[in-house]
Order: sequence, then C-alpha cells, then structure tokens
Amino acid sequence: MGQPDLRTRDSSVGAPAADAAPPLLPGRGRRPVSKRLAPFGYLSPTLILILVLMVIPILMVISYSFQDNVIVERNPVFSGLANYANVLSDPDFLVAIKNTLIFITVSTAAHLVLGLTFAILLNTDVVGGVTKAVFRIIYILPWLFTIAVVAVIWRLMLDPYGVVNYILTSVHAVQKGVDWFGDPSTALWAVTFVNIWSGYPFFMISLLAGLQGISTDMYEAASVDGANAVQKFFGITIPQLRPVLISMAVLDLIWTSQQFALIWMTTGGGPLNATEMLSTYTYKQAFSSYEFATASASAVIVLLITLILAVFYVRQQRVR
Amino acid sequence: MARGSGKFLKQLLGVATAAALISTAACGGSGSGESSDSSGPVTLEFAQWWAPELPAGAFDQKIAEFEQQNPNIKVKLLSAPYASTKQQLVSGSASRTLPDVVGLDGAWVNDFAKQGALADLTSIMADAKYDPKELVSQVKVDSKTYMIPVVNFVYPLFVNKDLLTRAGVQSVPTDRSEFMEAAKKTTALGGNVTGWALPLDTAVPNGVQNDVLSWLWASGGSMLTPDGKPNMTSPEVQSTVDYVKSLNDAGVVAPGSLTMKEQDKVEKFTNGQVAMVIDSLAHVNLVKKNNPKLNFTIAPIPAQDGYTGKRGLPYASWGIGIADSSEHKAEAFKLVQFLMSQKTNGELATLANGFPGNNTAEPDLSESDPLFKTAFDMYKQSSPANQFVGLPKSEDLMRSFDENLQLALTNKQSVADALNKTQQSWSSII
Amino acid sequence: MTAVTTQTMRVRPETATKPAERVATRASKKHLGLKVGVIAGLTLGAVFAGLPVVWMLSTSLKANGEVFEIPPRLITESFSFDAYAKILGDPLQMRFFLNSYIVALSVTALTLFVAILAAFAFSRFSFRGKEAVNVVIVSVQAVPPITLVIPYFGLMVGLGLYNTYPGLILTHMVFTLPYAIIMLTAYFNTLPRELDESVKVDGGSGWTALWRVLVPISVPGLIAVGVYTFMISWNEYLFALTLTRTDDMRTVPIGIQLLMGQHSYEWNQMMAMSILGSIPVLVLFLLFQRRFIGGLTAGAVKS
Repeated sequence: MGQPDLRTRDSSVGAPAADAAPPLLPGRGRRPVSKRLAPFGYLSPTLILILVLMVIPILMVISYSFQDNVIVERNPVFSGLANYANVLSDPDFLVAIKNTLIFITVSTAAHLVLGLTFAILLNTDVVGGVTKAVFRIIYILPWLFTIAVVAVIWRLMLDPYGVVNYILTSVHAVQKGVDWFGDPSTALWAVTFVNIWSGYPFFMISLLAGLQGISTDMYEAASVDGANAVQKFFGITIPQLRPVLISMAVLDLIWTSQQFALIWMTTGGGPLNATEMLSTYTYKQAFSSYEFATASASAVIVLLITLILAVFYVRQQRVR
Repeated sequence: MARGSGKFLKQLLGVATAAALISTAACGGSGSGESSDSSGPVTLEFAQWWAPELPAGAFDQKIAEFEQQNPNIKVKLLSAPYASTKQQLVSGSASRTLPDVVGLDGAWVNDFAKQGALADLTSIMADAKYDPKELVSQVKVDSKTYMIPVVNFVYPLFVNKDLLTRAGVQSVPTDRSEFMEAAKKTTALGGNVTGWALPLDTAVPNGVQNDVLSWLWASGGSMLTPDGKPNMTSPEVQSTVDYVKSLNDAGVVAPGSLTMKEQDKVEKFTNGQVAMVIDSLAHVNLVKKNNPKLNFTIAPIPAQDGYTGKRGLPYASWGIGIADSSEHKAEAFKLVQFLMSQKTNGELATLANGFPGNNTAEPDLSESDPLFKTAFDMYKQSSPANQFVGLPKSEDLMRSFDENLQLALTNKQSVADALNKTQQSWSSII
Repeated sequence: MTAVTTQTMRVRPETATKPAERVATRASKKHLGLKVGVIAGLTLGAVFAGLPVVWMLSTSLKANGEVFEIPPRLITESFSFDAYAKILGDPLQMRFFLNSYIVALSVTALTLFVAILAAFAFSRFSFRGKEAVNVVIVSVQAVPPITLVIPYFGLMVGLGLYNTYPGLILTHMVFTLPYAIIMLTAYFNTLPRELDESVKVDGGSGWTALWRVLVPISVPGLIAVGVYTFMISWNEYLFALTLTRTDDMRTVPIGIQLLMGQHSYEWNQMMAMSILGSIPVLVLFLLFQRRFIGGLTAGAVKS
C-alpha cells in the first residue's frame, strides 16, 4: 500500500524527481523536447479522461450557477450572483454547512483512530497468523456492501424496536429504546456512527500496510534507548505514518462531504434538519424544487471550499 | 521476488485487460434504442416500477398480449427502482432521452408538463379519435391532459381486530373521538403496542398526504380554496392538525415518527405492533402473506364527529404518460389504450389489488379477499381525494408542511404558527 | 576444595535462578496480560464490525414478515435459503452480476494502467503545471455527484456512450483515478531512484524502467489500489442507474434497489443479493491479502 516517503532520512528517495532533466548541451535539439514532453505523455490518458468527463461537466455546472431557468426550462437567463446570494442566505444551507462540518470531522477523526487501532491490533505479534487473518476478514466486512444496503440494515437495527435497542435494554444500558434516527438530538450522531462503521476499513488497510513498512530496526533502537510503548508509538509510529495519515484524512474529508445515499435513506435530512447536509440540500434543490441553478451554486460553493483543502494538501506533499 | 511478482503481475494484467477488451468488443452491449423506420416494426420503451409489484411475469404477459394484437409494435419494458424513478425521469427529460411511455405519479405531472417532458394527451386522443368517457379521471394541467391513471390504490383505515378486542374496544371507530379512544385503549395494552403510526419522513414526505391530510379529506375538507389557492389556515385544516397533535400528545403514536417511512408503517402493522394505520389497499395481500395470523379489517377513515356528508377516500395511482420527445406517439397511445381497455384494465387492477382507471371495468373480486369487496363498495360510495395531484412542486409543498408539522408536534412552535408558515411557503409556489 | 566448590556451586544456582525467574514470570505475566488485552480488543472490534453483517445474514434466511418482529431473533422457524435460490435462479439478477463483473474488472485494469502512467509522471518528473494538475485531480472529487448527473448524462448521450459498457467503465474510471493516482504516486515516491537509474545505465528508457522494474516491485501497492477500485466500481449506484437504460446493462446495486418496492421491501432477497454481491470482493481480498500485507516489507524498500 502506498506510503509516501518513509525514508525521508535517505536523501536518495527525497523530493520526487527534482533532478529529472539532466543538464543538456545546447544544440541537441530533439532530446530536450522529448524529455520535456515525456511526463505529459504519461499523463495524457489521465488528462484526456478527466478533462472530457469531469472538467467539462463541472464547467457546465459552474455555468448553470450563474444562470436561471436551467435544465427544466428552455430559456436560461443570465442572473449573475443571484443564485449564490439565495443559497448563502438560506437558513437551511447554513444548517447544512454546520451539520456537514460536524459530520465530516467526526467521521474522519474516528476513521483514523479506529483504523489505526485495528491496524495495530492486527499487526501485533501476540496472536498467530491465522487468527490475524480471520480477524482481518471480519474487519473489512463493512467495506463490502453498497451504501443503500448499509443504510437499510442499520435502519432496521436502530429501529426503536430493533436489535440494538433490544440488546441495550436487556443489559440495562438504557431504560427504554432510543429513537436513534427519529430524535433530533441523536440523529446526527447515529448517522455519523453508521458512516464511521462503513468507512473505517479503508484506513485500516492502508495503515496496516503502512505499519508493516516501518522497519523494526527503529523500534529496536528505541528500546535500547529505554523508550516504552507509548513513547515508541508517538515517537516512531505516528511520524512514520504521518504522510499516509494526512493523505487519507484529506481524501476522507472530501469523500465524506459527498455522502448522500446514507443520509437520504436513513433520515432524509431530518428530523427537524438535524441531519441536513450539503448533499441532501443540493439534492432537494435539484430534484424537488427543480432549481438546478441554485443546486449548481451550492455545488460550486462546496467545490471552492474543497479547492482550498486540495491546494493545502498538494503544497504539503511538495514540502516533503 | 521481483521476478515472481513480475510474472504474476503480467498474468493479472493480462486477464484484466482481456476482460476489458472483450467487454469493449462485446459492447454492442448497448441496450436497444428506439428502432427503425416506418416500414419496419416500431419498438416502444416503457419505463415503470409496476412489474416488480405484480406477480412474477404477469406484466410481461399483458405486454405479450398487446404485441399479439399489434404485430407492428414491440414493447421493451424498462424497470426502474421506485425511489429513483422521479430523479431518472427528470434526467431523461433534460437530455430528451425519455422512453416513449412512462409510468407516472400524479404528484409529478404538473412539473413534468411544465418542463415540456410530457406530450399533450388531449390532442393525441383527438388524433386517435379516442373517446375518454371511460376514463375514471385524467390529470390535467392548463386543461390539457398529461397523465391517465391506470390503476388507483385507495387508502382506507386498516384495523387490527384482535388488538381492539383485547383492549375492550367493541367496534371499529367511525369518527375521531372513537378513534382517539380506541388508540388510547390499545396503547394501554403495553408491550410495544401503540394505537397509530404516523410516518413523517421528509425524504419522501407523502405521509402528510396519506396520514395527515387524509383526515381532512375524509371529512369533506379542502386544503385549497375553490380557485386553487392554499387554504391551510382554514378552521377545518386547523382542526385536523390539532387532532393529529392531540393524538401525538396522548402518546398513542408509534415512536420514530419523524423519520418513519411508509414501508415501516406497514411492517409495524403487519407485526401487530400498531393497532390502526391508514394504508394502501394494495397491501392487503402483502400483510396476509407476511402474517397469516393477523386478524384485520378495513374501514373508512373516521370523519369529524357529526359529519354525515360524502367521505373522501385518499388514493394514489399508477399513471401513464407519453414523452414529448417520443417519435412514436401514435403507437405509444395504442399501448395506453390497451392498458386502459375494459378487459385489460380490469385484469391489471385485480393483479395489483387496486381499482381500475376504466370506469366500466370491474376488478375480478371472486377470487380475492372479501376485504376487496368491502373496499370496492367503499370506493363506490366515497369521493376520491388527493389534492396534491396536478399541483406544481407537490413534493416541496408536502415537505414544507411536513417540516412545520414536525415543529408543531415537538412543541417548538404552535399549530397556528405551523399552518401560517405553511400557508406562506405554499403561496409562493401555488 | 571440592567441598568448598560444591558448596558455592550449590549456592550460586539458587540465587542465580531467583532473579531470572522473577524476571521471567514478570515478563510472561505482562505478555499474558497483553495477549488477553489484544484478544479482548480484537473480539470487541469484531462484534462492532460483524454484528450488522450477521444481521444481514439472519435477515436473508428469514421470511419477510419476521424481519420486524419483537423480540428480534437471529434464527426463525422459517429458516430457508429460498431467497438465495430466487436470486441465483433469476436470469435477470444473474445478468446484473455479469454486468457488474465486466464493468468492475475492466475499470480496475484500466484504472491501474492509467494510474501507473500518471503516478510515474508525478513521481519521476518535474514539469510546469505539475501542482496545478495535481490540484485538479484531487478536487474533481469535490463536486457533488448529484449535480453532475444531468450535465454528465447529456455529455454521455452526446458521445454516444449512453447505455454501453464503455460509458459506464469510463465513468467509473473518472471516480477511481484520483485516489489511485495519489496512492500510487506516494508509493512510487518510496522507491529509490537508483532503480530507474540502473535501467537507464543499461540503455533502457523511462518506459522500460517503469514496467520492468518499478511496477513489479509495486505489486503490493497495486493490489491494494486494485481491490479498492474494484469495490468502488462494484458498489456504485447513481451513475450506473443514470447511464444505463435496459436491463441487460444494469448492475448489482440497481438489482438490489429494484427489490425496494413502492410499497414494501423484499428484505430477504435484498440481503441475499447483498451477501452474494459481497462475495467477489471478499474472494479478491482473500486471494491477495497475503501479497499486500505480508509481502510489503521493506523487501522492496530496503533493496
């Protein structure tokens, strides 16, 4: 599994390809040009695909956001920033932003912690290989199912009279069954919990691979210096995993902010807007109010916020 | 190790690339589009969610009959998951790739018609010299028909007789006070039983139509003024919502209301957890199949105390329309005609456990549950009531009422405020 | 003298073993404590991860009417494999599985290929616009798919790719490429440049260096990315639904949603289909886990 730059102390691995173009004598016409074009050659399939199939639709969405009467009516009218004003002044949108922020930060943080914990548990020498393999299989199970099924099965289990409440009341952890999805005070946490459940294997696998790539020499050296387990963890494991952790965190934040089906099929953005997210807000604008321009404006706002995150991420990669 | 991995990798890539190439080659795997010229057979595409709801193969059989009667027309059935149907129709309409014939819900018609997605059936019927007198109803926008209901599903009150008897309720409630009492007594039985279920999920907010406003229509009330403007602050609407709130306050409503979906309501009734629900008649067989021991009956929705007028019976339909972008509108209408013909329509209604959209067709009640006869008589004596059919942005209307109602039920605002706010937001749409 | 030595010999072993013993028991107790802790942790985690799946299995073996009963039971009298039989015996559902396989495998193969090339470019070259391209690749994932559906749909219809395998394959590739490129770039970055250089010294080109040297060493990373890509494609619903029209092109997630009817869900069939649908990915993972967990060790990095 990819782990960027674990061997930062080894300068030969250091910065990616800073010395790709060897110094060339002037007059050697063809080599420099082909050398310069080489990376674009390798990138060309990606660029073509992303340009045609992603950038073009995205540009269309951006253009819709500046118009009115798009898609469902045949005579679009340029309307400047009106849609953005509408969106930003819509109280539902602001609630959606707040909920989305909570949702993605808690989800991502929990994914990291849970993924790391499981990865460490699965990386230990204390249990045998077969045991570890069995548990590995069990732990990636949440990953295997399409999100509609995850939503449906958790709705069933978290029903006021469902399995989870049954178990909790049997062991007297709660007195009466909790209305997980229907109670405004628990709905957001319930939805976040389900999202955590369905997403942690991604982190677990990547971190597990990352853990395996940390050479044991470092741990031995630390032991010799008298470090205990906690010090080793924070002094070696975390710094070595840092690049992976950051990449995963950024990706997860972006992906989680797009999560729609899970919320739609469990709470639909309710109750009382407790789980209204940017994704459900946009969906309702598009397919309920048929206001595609507003939906596009909302999408562009999300895109802008994410662009900031993306730029930060890319810069950070360069520094290493 | 690098060598070994290399070979393995090569094999892996080889297999996968072969798969990719095969698939692209076999990619005539494009589905069939519409076909040919006027001389050859015409292929119609019909998108609906009905086939899975009918007995296996039943719908295919009907289509086969149609193709027999019309050798020049072939029909390709496209199945669509119900939850995504509307969204797919909007997308298809936007790119002019809608199938020729589409299954519709009455609540969508206004918006689709305004978007130019649907063909004007009035003129098509005129061209085909079709007399619409046999149609129970037509859904019109600006006096042009855009959808014809094929099968109607009424929503009576389902009552669990065993629970009522156990609770000491002698007879099925006929007015609101009796209902409240029956609900209280059955809830008092304890053990996870409640009197009523109220699904108010905002993702698909038709709970406000089926379970809340149905009380209004049952008593002959209207949520609109005679000229079609919102009437949500009227005394009848206020009394309906007050009543629903009182049921909620009395604790007779099953927990989880605010995010409960229609399917959950049915499941809870089937399992004997809820004594009374307003539900689609089409579920009778479903309930019997899933819980053969359940002793239940159906009844009209209780009206306001003292109301003696004609009761409204809420309904929803499987409607049919023709895409405006279809190149075979005449042939498409032949399919519509077939499905609306006396014999076929009656058969469809029987299979679907609904009532025919053709007023001369009678569902074959001989082999079905006696409850259907009860329901059919009820149907004949009531007036069908669903005021959301034909309204613009009906889902938005339902949702804004739903959200305000939820605030009222959770005591975050008064019923009067809820209705005022609903009235305001509706006025900006209607 | 012998007396003295035997005496001392008798004494030393006793005192010698005591501290050693104490250390040994302390270590083994700690070891035991750790082992118990780890196993407890693993088990707790397994319950967390596995309970819903167990419930899915249980639901697939029940009759539909028993799904909501109180108190909930794991196994009921109507225990049967009917739901599975129905799915496996239905040619339509089987067609959905076939389509899913074709699409997911193609997407995986093509994504890996394209991502390898792109990662090579990012890792081994520096060029103008590199950061910009990187930002674009990362941020295209940020646009809510639901807003993209309609423009995208129009685009695919315009390109003539509507309701075709290539249409769906290319669409899924666009979703999986960003992640694949990011991860493979990071992975290639850990591989020392001496590997490339050694090929070039022998007169090979960058292309040779890539395919002969870098890729074979990266198999573990490729497999991890591949499995994840397969899974994304296999479970994708929205665009699979939008870009297919006829039953002969639809995929497993659509098949599952078709069981969620207007009036009720076919619970046991839905769950059966989900379980059946998860088996391919599970098998993939089983086959390859050794390679990308075990084989990852610095074998590649250290050499």
